[in-house]
Amino acid sequence: MADAVTLDSVCKSFGALQAVQNFSLRIPTGITYGLLGPNGAGKTTLIRLIVGLLRADSGRVSVMGRPMPDKDMLAHIGYMTQTPAIYSDLTVRENVAFFGTMAGGVSPARVNEVIALVGLSDRADSLGRTLSGGMRQRTSLACALVHQPRLLLLDEPTVGVDPQLRVQFWDYFRQLNAQGVTIIVSSHVMDEAERCDRLGFIRQGQLIAEGTGADLLAQAGARTLEEAFLTFAGATQERPLQEKMPA
Amino acid sequence: MNRKRVITLAGRVIRQTLRDRRTVVLFLIGPLIIVSLTALLLRSEGRPAPLGIVNQDEGATVLLFGQVRLADRIVAAMSEGDALVPVPLPADEAEAALRAGRVRGVVTFPPDFSASFAGERRVRLQLTLEGSNPLQATAVLSALMQTGMRALAGLASGSAGGELPLSVDVTYLYGGPEYDLLDYLAPPYLVLIVFFFVFLLTTVTFLRERSQGTVERLMATPVTRLEIVTGYMLGFLAFALADAALLLGFTVTVIGLHYAGNLFDMLVIESLLVMVAVNLGIFLSTFARNEFQVLQFIPLVILPMVLLSGLLFPVEDLPGLFQPLAYLLPLTHASDALRAIMIRGQGLAEVGVQIVALLLTGMIMLALAAVTVRREVA
Repeated sequence: MADAVTLDSVCKSFGALQAVQNFSLRIPTGITYGLLGPNGAGKTTLIRLIVGLLRADSGRVSVMGRPMPDKDMLAHIGYMTQTPAIYSDLTVRENVAFFGTMAGGVSPARVNEVIALVGLSDRADSLGRTLSGGMRQRTSLACALVHQPRLLLLDEPTVGVDPQLRVQFWDYFRQLNAQGVTIIVSSHVMDEAERCDRLGFIRQGQLIAEGTGADLLAQAGARTLEEAFLTFAGATQERPLQEKMPA
Repeated sequence: MNRKRVITLAGRVIRQTLRDRRTVVLFLIGPLIIVSLTALLLRSEGRPAPLGIVNQDEGATVLLFGQVRLADRIVAAMSEGDALVPVPLPADEAEAALRAGRVRGVVTFPPDFSASFAGERRVRLQLTLEGSNPLQATAVLSALMQTGMRALAGLASGSAGGELPLSVDVTYLYGGPEYDLLDYLAPPYLVLIVFFFVFLLTTVTFLRERSQGTVERLMATPVTRLEIVTGYMLGFLAFALADAALLLGFTVTVIGLHYAGNLFDMLVIESLLVMVAVNLGIFLSTFARNEFQVLQFIPLVILPMVLLSGLLFPVEDLPGLFQPLAYLLPLTHASDALRAIMIRGQGLAEVGVQIVALLLTGMIMLALAAVTVRREVA
């Protein structure tokens, strides 16, 4: 099966800031992929490049074999932004239905289904501005899921979601994977990482390590993913320091 | 009250404001622009009004003065004065010139004009006024009376019974004596209110759409920029038309506004204006980081448009460069069109020029809006 996402030597700068540097990665279809790295590592830029909201300065980004940006592909992509992007003057149901229609049209039954899935059935008719941060986050997730996308990009999806619901989310993500949906999750929390099929460690816009959790642990000789990340991060950091030394 | 806390608070407010450099600059410069523009408009002398002259006077012999054509004396007095510019017209072209707006009125001197003066020592003039602007109509009438009296002053010494030697019969092409200033101001007010509210609504709504991240989220769906902009236009059109209809209904029934036109034609013009306002709002929202900065567009963008639109100062009286500038602005054309419809009872065909101008402005704004839909705030 074709890869869900391919990044080939992708670079993206904002002024002097090199947000993504020479980034190459292939994400196979039907898995949950974790992009892990500290704040400001370039995770959101990477996700926006995959969605096609940004155009790469150089290199190629493709989704399901189609080069991005591509408006038509967006009907098959679900995107949940880091800060919940919902209309505060619309109800939960209206928000979900709105984004469903924008993505190509969905049935009212499907709208109710995703609202139930994110545990907001009893708040379906509440206005966005009356919701708590976590509920807004869940509404945002429902908006990303409603049109049954083939590729789901979730930027820090479980911030503000209580542990019980988080378990439910991961169960649902597994079901989606089984249906062939590819999920890309960005996170700076390492315990999320353990639930992903494969992981990419990102630091300062670069991919510093990539593989399954077990691979990464073995390569780094570490016991936890956090330790592994620090090992890889240290390895990339050493070089510039050593270069400075002789002077 | 803790002095240190209060002073620290004041210091924070000052520092915070100074950091928004644009606000500081606008705060200082905005009022200067408005004051200068208003001063310029208020101080600019009204231009002399073009007055059509249909001179059929055959002349007569007046005691002590010999053969004279009184009409010529009056016309000469007009040329000397600075209130009126006489425009000689053949009788059959007078109405056309009036309709085309080339003259603000037409005065007709009948063939027996001089003769009746020689006989009765008094004359009657026929004046047809364009009438859309009651202020201009009054000005033309009083200037004509003054000029006429001056021209006749030397001749009329023997007039009977202290009666004025000159009287003017006034007829109106449009409007009429019952039309007052409100009737004249109502069309541009309708234009202004719709434009202003739609502009503010769009700018703030779109600003929110940007700041709450929903534009970004929308752009991650197959929806196109043109679809977004068009959707916004349709949405606000509903409000604008309801507003315009309510306002018109209220002024006509409760306030007793005179209204000669067709409601549908009026709503067409309002719709075109909404198209301009929505797109201008989306475009300008790119340059505002918050609602406060949206307010700054009012003195900078809206007020100059209003001052130049002919709401208070007729565009033909604007000084030099301001006239072409006024015709670049959508409010001017919309006001012109609505005045034509509401006061003169004209139809859409007669305001074709204004419709084309509004459409063109709308298209340019639409293109600008579509390009900047996604722009991050500068």
